[in-house]
Amino acid sequence: MATTVLCGGGGDVDGCDGERSLDLLPAALLETIMTKLDVGSLCSLASTCKTLKSCVTRVLTFTPNFHIFNVSLSMETVRPLLFPNQQLSSLKLDCGRLGNSAIDILVRPSLREISLHNCRDFSGDLISEIGRRCKDLRLLCLGSVAEKVGRSISRCAFEDLLNGCSHLEVLALMFDLSLYLRPGDGRIFGLVSDKLTHLELGHISSRMMTQLLTSTEISGQDSSRVTSTVLQNVQQLRLSVDCITDAVVKAISKSLTSLIDLDIRDAPLEDPRQLSDLTDFGLHEINQNGKLKHLSLIRSQEFHPTYFRRVSDQGMLFLADKCLGMESICLGGFCRVTDAGFKTILHSCASLSKFSIYHGPKLTDLVFHDILATTLSLSHVCLRRCHLLTDHAIQKLASSLKLENLDLRGCRNLRDGTLKAVSHLPKLKVLLLDGTDISDTGLSYLKEGLLDSLVSLSVRGCRNLTDKFMSTLFDGSSKLVLRELDLSNLPNLTDAAIFALAKSGAPITKLQLRECRLIGDASVMALASTRVYEDECPGSSLCLLDLYDCGGITQLSFKWLKKPFFPRLKWLGITGSVNRDIVDALARRRPHLQVSCRGEELGNDGEDDWDSADIHQHIEAQEDELEQWILGDEGDVEMEDAEDDSEEDASEED
Amino acid sequence: MSSSKKSSDGKSSEIEEAVASLTMPFNKILLTSSDGESFEIDEAVARKFQIIAHMIEDDCAGKAIPIDNVTGDILSKIIEYAKKHVVEPDEDEDEEAKKKLDSWDAKFVEKLDLETIFKIILAANYLNFEGLLGFASQTVADYIKDKTPEEVREIFNIENDFTPEEEEAIRKENAWTFNG
Repeated sequence: MATTVLCGGGGDVDGCDGERSLDLLPAALLETIMTKLDVGSLCSLASTCKTLKSCVTRVLTFTPNFHIFNVSLSMETVRPLLFPNQQLSSLKLDCGRLGNSAIDILVRPSLREISLHNCRDFSGDLISEIGRRCKDLRLLCLGSVAEKVGRSISRCAFEDLLNGCSHLEVLALMFDLSLYLRPGDGRIFGLVSDKLTHLELGHISSRMMTQLLTSTEISGQDSSRVTSTVLQNVQQLRLSVDCITDAVVKAISKSLTSLIDLDIRDAPLEDPRQLSDLTDFGLHEINQNGKLKHLSLIRSQEFHPTYFRRVSDQGMLFLADKCLGMESICLGGFCRVTDAGFKTILHSCASLSKFSIYHGPKLTDLVFHDILATTLSLSHVCLRRCHLLTDHAIQKLASSLKLENLDLRGCRNLRDGTLKAVSHLPKLKVLLLDGTDISDTGLSYLKEGLLDSLVSLSVRGCRNLTDKFMSTLFDGSSKLVLRELDLSNLPNLTDAAIFALAKSGAPITKLQLRECRLIGDASVMALASTRVYEDECPGSSLCLLDLYDCGGITQLSFKWLKKPFFPRLKWLGITGSVNRDIVDALARRRPHLQVSCRGEELGNDGEDDWDSADIHQHIEAQEDELEQWILGDEGDVEMEDAEDDSEEDASEED
Repeated sequence: MSSSKKSSDGKSSEIEEAVASLTMPFNKILLTSSDGESFEIDEAVARKFQIIAHMIEDDCAGKAIPIDNVTGDILSKIIEYAKKHVVEPDEDEDEEAKKKLDSWDAKFVEKLDLETIFKIILAANYLNFEGLLGFASQTVADYIKDKTPEEVREIFNIENDFTPEEEEAIRKENAWTFNG
């Protein structure tokens, strides 16, 4: 056995204090423990004493994983940590403060996994170098590359990457590729390794996707369109395109024979025309190989109020017919589909566990009327902006006792009956009720059941709520597992509610109070002086605090936002106009705190919520003009089809 | 660590072990701790300790094996863990069993204080009981995870032997970990 290292305390090794000391363990065992720690904890450990510091330095030279989330490190910090490690196998970093000069440090031949987010300041060189140096790479995720003005990526960079990394299994390029590639360049993806199983592209044009999946083979006199074998082993495909068309859906279904998970989204800038849109026949083509388990088709209304106007219940029948083995379905922007269509899906897909409809203005309670007759055990249900839904539907839904995640944002007609119905669900973790018509009484029902399972609760924009529900929920009587709370846009919420929260000592990590007019400095003071009951250490447990546009926040709050208050705070949202100098001073004093002054939504969820722009944009609309436009539009559809037919004769667009 | 002559056999030694544990369930091994406590355990359980498994292979194991570096209380805890983990359930095949075992493990370690866990780590290392060594190390790692240096010093009773200048320099270097 290796000799033990000297203890720091008194000379008596057998003394009860000395025995407990970590640095008494032999170096080899210390290293065993340290290899199970992440880099952040290792650095923290290194700051405790000399023995541990030297041990950590040694461990950092061979630790296989280097994962630092949620914090952007500068070059000076990263270099000494990464440089000596020649055996690094997995790297995950936020590169917000790094640029091309960091490429040498980051891109190492030993790497098998690279996941870099926020690479705004990098150019295409990053991509080239990865292709040239990391021959063993299995996983590559790059986010936001070259998004800073003045940076760009050349086509050769992609070629270098795909040529060099011939064992790539997961490829996620989460930025707008259509800025750097022309439609004909789609052939580059033919270079991709055939071991690729996951592909995610930030933005690409439908045309490029269709072209890269089909190739023209000229054999003798015939020139027949043959499906290429590229991307044949891909099991998961996630794309954002300019406009989902029948052609691209057909091409994907034909070529990607191993596809299990398909996720396509578009956000058109104008109404798609007849030949460049998804129709019922496109849906007929989906899942020709029968292997599809997860499907997500979303049309976002972020830029223009469009929807899948050429898909009706018939399309849903086609879909349900082909997709019997589906486990997860997400349909966004299918505004013409009625209860018949949605119900067919629910009743045909017997293994369905996740069901999401974004914007279903024709979806009513009838869809769930006889859900008990099915054998479905739904775990995630998302019914956003389904205005016709009432409490009855939720009562029926609540018979699925396996529900973990319930997102009912924007369903204006849901009231307290919903809360009564869901309060007995034993596994419910996430409950989102933004923009619904609930009241304090409704939320008090949550006390009866959900408090030992509910982790995340959002009641943004539920205008009837007052302070009462906060004092009911946070009366200190039970230990809550609630960690995330969104109380934004509640005009009647005052500081008293936050006092109740702070007094109860609940260890909330995420608190959003955007646009609450009556919230002021007193709330910040109360939150800063919270003594959280779980920790031995005093101080607020908050990691994210959003006070954007809170009416009562003045300069006084900033005294309470300085250290040592809010020790774990990583994101802060505040109105910059309070006093620009003070905000800047705070940002300087706390360099690892991300301060956001312009009202952006905070926090980086790993999963990009593709409907979130729509949700926050459309919930407040008192009169849903969009809906009236859609419903009133029905008579005009035939007229428009006639118009489109005449356009067909005209030359096809680019 | 282990390996040695087992590495080349690989699968066949697995089968041998399985057969051994089936056909000799009643073969008992006696372990004596440093302070004289004796524990009689099945051979299958004893084989979890590689150091003993080797002795059995080499036929050096008599009926009683002295374990000089480990006291009785620690040895009893280790044997308790080994008995529960004689057969590791396959995560893919038997999820329920794995969950039950995990929750037993969590309760097992909940009752122990840090001093005992350290002693268990040292003993598991000596006995070459890889499963328990990994588990106990992970437990200690979980104590350290995401804590500030002050908190770690508090929990583990570590004395700060940096000079004020060194301390300041290190705090600056690692400010990003604890949002300093």
